[in-house]
Amino acid sequence: MSSTDHETAERLGRKRARLLPLFAILFLTQQASYFTGPNVDTGRPVDHIRIAAWLVMSIVLLLVLATGGGWFRSRAVRALMNDEATQVHRNDAFRFAFFAAMTACVVLYVVGLFEPLGGRDVIHLVMSCGIAAALVRFGMLERRAYRDA
Amino acid sequence: MPEGLANRLREHRAERDLTQAALAEMVGVSRKTINTVENGVFVPSTTLALKLARALGCSVESLFSLAED
Repeated sequence: MSSTDHETAERLGRKRARLLPLFAILFLTQQASYFTGPNVDTGRPVDHIRIAAWLVMSIVLLLVLATGGGWFRSRAVRALMNDEATQVHRNDAFRFAFFAAMTACVVLYVVGLFEPLGGRDVIHLVMSCGIAAALVRFGMLERRAYRDA
Repeated sequence: MPEGLANRLREHRAERDLTQAALAEMVGVSRKTINTVENGVFVPSTTLALKLARALGCSVESLFSLAED
């Protein structure tokens, strides 16, 4: 690993730490527009596109969380971006996300007792809660680690 | 600082006039990891502790110890 690799990994790692919470905000904003729309799913092509966009974004964000990003960088840079401390942060973020998703499930279960909920909407909400929680937690832990570094 | 663990990584690194970046390069981790270990935010694995000790030419016990010792 050269010093250039270290500098590149440091730069990308800092950028990732800054961007992940922003991605979470963007992601949740997109969900808000989905659920506050006039009709969530009327079967129109535009609804399919909207749902597909959410699914694609969810999968991309999950992959970023799982792999740490930097997909087009060298193996050495990716290894530095996902070193021991980062893996610990990621594990913590996933644990946090699991509890966020389970909390969403409990809330939706209670809501479901009073108001019928669609299966797809429930999945949508649980996934959104889990992904956003993981993004925020991972970003926060990484930012804290870079502070004073 | 994680409960019960003390570390003297910063002192050992300073004694050898190494920057965090230089030490990070020697052991193959990011500067962030060295920083979090020094600040006691992150407890390194045995492998990383051994690498740090080897890079600094000291024993793991001189770098990390139980706070009660």
